Amino acid sequence: MMTSRRLLQLAVIVVALAYPIVTSGSPVWQRLGALVLLAAISASAWNIVGGYAGQVSVGHAVFFGIGAYAAVVAFVHLDLPPILGAPIGMLLSVAVAVVVGVPTLRLSGHYFSMATIAVGELVRVLSSTSDWLGGAQGLGGPAMPRTVFDLSFVSAMPYYYIFLAVLTGLLGLTWWIERSRMGFYLRAIKDSERAARSLGVSAGRYKLHAYMLSAAFTSLAGSLYLCMFGFIDPESGFGILLSVKMVVMAALGGAGQLFGPLIGALILVPLEELSNSLLGGQGAGITFVVYGAIIVIIARFLPSGLLSLLERRPHPGTKAAPANPNPASGHAD
Amino acid sequence: MVQLSRRALTVGAASAAFAFATDVAAEEVVKIGVLYPLSGNAASAGNTSKMAVELGADIVNKGDPELAKLMPIARGGGLSGLKGAKIQLVIADNQGTPAAGQNQTLRLITQEKVAAMIGAYQSGITLTASAVAEKYGIPFVNPESVAANLTERGFKWFFRVTPVAADFAKAYSAFLKEQKAAGRKVDAVAIVHENTEYGNSVAGVIADVFAKEGLKVMQNIAYSANSTDVQPEVLQLKEKNPDVVLFISYTSDAILYTKTMKALNWKPEIMMADASGFNDQAYVKSMGREVEGLISRSAFAPGKPGSIAAICEALYKKKSGGDGLDDGSARSLEGFLVLADAINRAGSTDPAKIQAALKATNMPADQMVAGYNGVKFDAKGQNTLGSSLIIQMRNGDYVPVWPKAKATADLVLPFKGWTK
Repeated sequence: MMTSRRLLQLAVIVVALAYPIVTSGSPVWQRLGALVLLAAISASAWNIVGGYAGQVSVGHAVFFGIGAYAAVVAFVHLDLPPILGAPIGMLLSVAVAVVVGVPTLRLSGHYFSMATIAVGELVRVLSSTSDWLGGAQGLGGPAMPRTVFDLSFVSAMPYYYIFLAVLTGLLGLTWWIERSRMGFYLRAIKDSERAARSLGVSAGRYKLHAYMLSAAFTSLAGSLYLCMFGFIDPESGFGILLSVKMVVMAALGGAGQLFGPLIGALILVPLEELSNSLLGGQGAGITFVVYGAIIVIIARFLPSGLLSLLERRPHPGTKAAPANPNPASGHAD
Repeated sequence: MVQLSRRALTVGAASAAFAFATDVAAEEVVKIGVLYPLSGNAASAGNTSKMAVELGADIVNKGDPELAKLMPIARGGGLSGLKGAKIQLVIADNQGTPAAGQNQTLRLITQEKVAAMIGAYQSGITLTASAVAEKYGIPFVNPESVAANLTERGFKWFFRVTPVAADFAKAYSAFLKEQKAAGRKVDAVAIVHENTEYGNSVAGVIADVFAKEGLKVMQNIAYSANSTDVQPEVLQLKEKNPDVVLFISYTSDAILYTKTMKALNWKPEIMMADASGFNDQAYVKSMGREVEGLISRSAFAPGKPGSIAAICEALYKKKSGGDGLDDGSARSLEGFLVLADAINRAGSTDPAKIQAALKATNMPADQMVAGYNGVKFDAKGQNTLGSSLIIQMRNGDYVPVWPKAKATADLVLPFKGWTK
């Protein structure tokens, strides 16, 4: 049991590290790997507050956009490499998370989601009226790389390894939180906030902490996006579709599970790219039809995501996660 | 044994034939990547542009006898410079997002091995998509994006055919100076513009060009877009009473200004508009009869019967099953014909040779579908001969009145406007 698990882990690591080398003959497939990782970063960041704490934010694009704009502003207004804007974006996002989170995290369920949508749309509209941010037309990063620090490469390989490192760091942090006191509190809040409060868990504080952490990493994903694509406008930075994609990816894989968002990204990003490549030329917009269908299917048949399929198998008829209280068994509950 | 060898022979012959076939095919086809928003917000504009490019490919591949008399490239039978190679379009959807635009451009270049790219309608997507083409050294022809910074990036593989705000401003000033020479009063100009990106930037460019050309802008009125009341602005105009008023407005404001000017019964000598709201079918249908003599601009007008524009209009109508060419699709078709002409002159699918041919492009005005003075690129890849047709409202519809060579009706001034 242990050895086969180890083997699987080893195989995953080898595949993850070797992927861009194996696909170096096809820039499209190589880039697809980087796109999956980038999507997995923002969806995993969302997972901290949306999955573990159960606060379904549908306005996370706010932080993604702040990260992307921070990077482009560092270039356009300060003439710095875009990536130097990333820490500023993360700090700003944490600040915005506090300002938005303190009042809205008091709301429960749908009301919190609705409030985050409202904030997201507000920021999108505001950004499109700001000349400093390029208005509705948006801002472009360095047209031609000046130094390697501009992170503007022809090949997707450098992006792939940068994204892989960031995702590994983020998942490591999430794994640590999962096992820490905060992780237990968050799960308690998710199951029943009232019960958690009655047991002395400071629900408001932990939800806010999760929200801040989530915002910081979503913002980092935005900065990395800007480095790779070199352009941001209000729609691609703050558009609601971005927020929805984070939610759908995490939900498809398994919200509140360590690898859930990554699994979701592994399925949805290639699906989106391939369907657009194969069918987009006809102008049918089939990608969005597929997206819609998947949301409906998850909601109906797999409310706890694909990973819940794996977990059910060893414990037929019972809920897998609470059945095994020993964290050392490796359950990512 | 006999059987085996026969089989081997057959397989060998078949594979030889196959190899031969692919060899020939590789020579006979020039692949061009076409990137437009086929889904998302701008899908309707993207689809008309895509159809215009398809029409362009039909013109080159199949030809049109009538058009061939005016344009050598329309003789049919493919590109004569490449021994009759046919153009094959590889069409991709940019989904209205800069990210998808870039991903698809990479696919078209590295997987489909296109020799050149055309697209991508929205300025932001053109920006990200052309950055990939630049890195891979593939020519990128942009027929319709107007953001000024696109040609300020120092790119070597980017060519923009469409005129930008400065070209429109030059067309306006040339038009107004001609009226002045004909004895009409154009001494005082007022610019009225909405205050978002579009209105501010276009108004700024026009004011600059007019100042350089010696036209006096005496009033510059900014108002907030989607106003509910523009009486104060119109009263300002009425007080100063300029000879020429130029509006830069979206549809609802255009309608409101027209109604308010009528209510306050004030007309300038010449009323002009920078397309957009005033060219919108919604405006033309509801207000067209109230603004007899209004001057606007368009990249396209069908022109005189038998002209290139008129023939292309008819061909496009046949293809679309109804709608004719418009400001957007005419520019896309023009962009494609510029690219096809360059590939034909390059006589090769080698991107570097196509780039060199594009740089050497020099198309005269009489070869244009759109209302340009021709196509010739500067060092930044901007078409320096981009211009605009001046159109005038007559009996509820626009007709081209300037320049004379492309006019189908005589200019009638002063502005007549509403009749009680």
